[in-house]
Amino acid sequence: MIQKKICMVGTFAVGKTSLVRRYVSSLFSEKYLTTVGVKIDKKTLTVDNEEVMLMLWDLAGEDEFCEIRPSYVRGSSGYLLVCDGTRKMSFEDAICLHGKISGILGDIPFVMAINKHDLKDDWALSDSDVQKLKAQGWQVVLTSAKTGEGVEQAFKLLAEQIMKQNNTPQREYS
Amino acid sequence: MPDTLFSLYSTLQTVVLERQDDTRFILLTESTPWFCDLLPKACVARETLVLQGISPFLDNFFFDANEVWSDQNAEPLCSGPWVEVNSEGMEIALQADAINQAGKCLLLIQKLGQSYEHQVNILQAARQNLLTREHLEAEIHKRTEQIRLREEEIAMRLLAASGVRDEETGAHVRRIGMYSAAIADSLGWDQLNIDEIRVAAPMHDIGKIGIPDNILLKPAKLTSEEYSIMQGHAEIGANMLDGSDIPLLIMARDIAYCHHERWDGRGYPRGLAGSDIPESARIVAIADVYDALVHQRIYKPAFPEAHAIELMTNQSGSYFDPDIFSVFIELLPEIRRIREEIRENAYSGTPDDHYPYVL
Repeated sequence: MIQKKICMVGTFAVGKTSLVRRYVSSLFSEKYLTTVGVKIDKKTLTVDNEEVMLMLWDLAGEDEFCEIRPSYVRGSSGYLLVCDGTRKMSFEDAICLHGKISGILGDIPFVMAINKHDLKDDWALSDSDVQKLKAQGWQVVLTSAKTGEGVEQAFKLLAEQIMKQNNTPQREYS
Repeated sequence: MPDTLFSLYSTLQTVVLERQDDTRFILLTESTPWFCDLLPKACVARETLVLQGISPFLDNFFFDANEVWSDQNAEPLCSGPWVEVNSEGMEIALQADAINQAGKCLLLIQKLGQSYEHQVNILQAARQNLLTREHLEAEIHKRTEQIRLREEEIAMRLLAASGVRDEETGAHVRRIGMYSAAIADSLGWDQLNIDEIRVAAPMHDIGKIGIPDNILLKPAKLTSEEYSIMQGHAEIGANMLDGSDIPLLIMARDIAYCHHERWDGRGYPRGLAGSDIPESARIVAIADVYDALVHQRIYKPAFPEAHAIELMTNQSGSYFDPDIFSVFIELLPEIRRIREEIRENAYSGTPDDHYPYVL
């Protein structure tokens, strides 16, 4: 089976771990538990009749206390760039992180997940914020780890992009 | 390995392995249940193990660890913490270190236990603080915006009251605000002040409310006496807006008072020159004249922009601040976009208070 490493990238408390948990285990908890270090989960899906195992590297969110180690993202086939739609700063941080990650990994597939879309009353992003990214060719998905909205779609979209650009040699774990 | 060290490593929840080659390691310490959980089967001390493939995280770490092990002088390398799930479904936090010791390539894997929890708790508290700070900043921003919108509404209502007599189009004053904001932005003003000039600039002629109708609405060229009365609108406007400690109204007062001052000191009402004229008023002077020239007025048709710019360029350094005028010229594509966006119907306004000066 083809295995692909995907990194969850974003600043702290945007819901990276919750998205993985929702995607892999269909679970969600309101409680915020910060991630320290790395946790790896697996999920198999089918893309164009081909089974792909995604190795989901949930990285600790980057902030003033914690920086993403380049060695953690090495070998990634793609990444899910996550921000919290109720925190404009997390959106700007995600754009900065994209620059940083693409500086390390080059031009590899990624999808932007604007998370917490269930909190529409507190939404801090405008349509134009999102449209600007889409105009640059970014794939943007509104997600909610709480309701499940957009979660499968975001990972599937990323997997499809990766399979389309399946020209990066990956280590396979058997 | 001596027994005391054996038990010490066991107490420290650490296993030590010696690298044999790219794939094989000998376990130097006792095995532990959590370490065995990583492996396909249980293991014992002195057993040779293949560690590749048991953990994606470790495999990734070995890329860097191999560099350390290939250089006896290299500094030890720490993997940082990672989380594995054991056979009972419990999460365990681990950390690996690659070390060279007495010519041996060693791999230490430690179960972090309480130290990890402590680290998580500290980081959790710090991040909660950051979230609180971020939330408070967002709240302040939101409240400030609400106050600004209220100020803007008050200003617009005030303006509407004066506009009833003035009959200058709403489109004109909105454009003046937008042009001024664009110029201020290019001059590097902060966002708060840019927002303020956008609202304050449209009030530049608010003093016209105090000009008699027979002059303000006269459908013919003003006499010099009438023109002198008309000039009084700057001071009237300033008096209307004076005495406030609201930054928006302070700026509006400066603009109303000084937007007919000239860079060379030959303007009115006080004959201020150069940088004695508030920058906000120097910006609005350019925005106002431009808009007056390129739109139809009671005594003139709308000028082609090229003609308007030619006239204004001749006044740069005398009527207008030359530096701000240069910025304005660079901004012309944006200024045109604003003009296009905020169009007006046929103009039916008052005699022009710039016309005699500019031309």
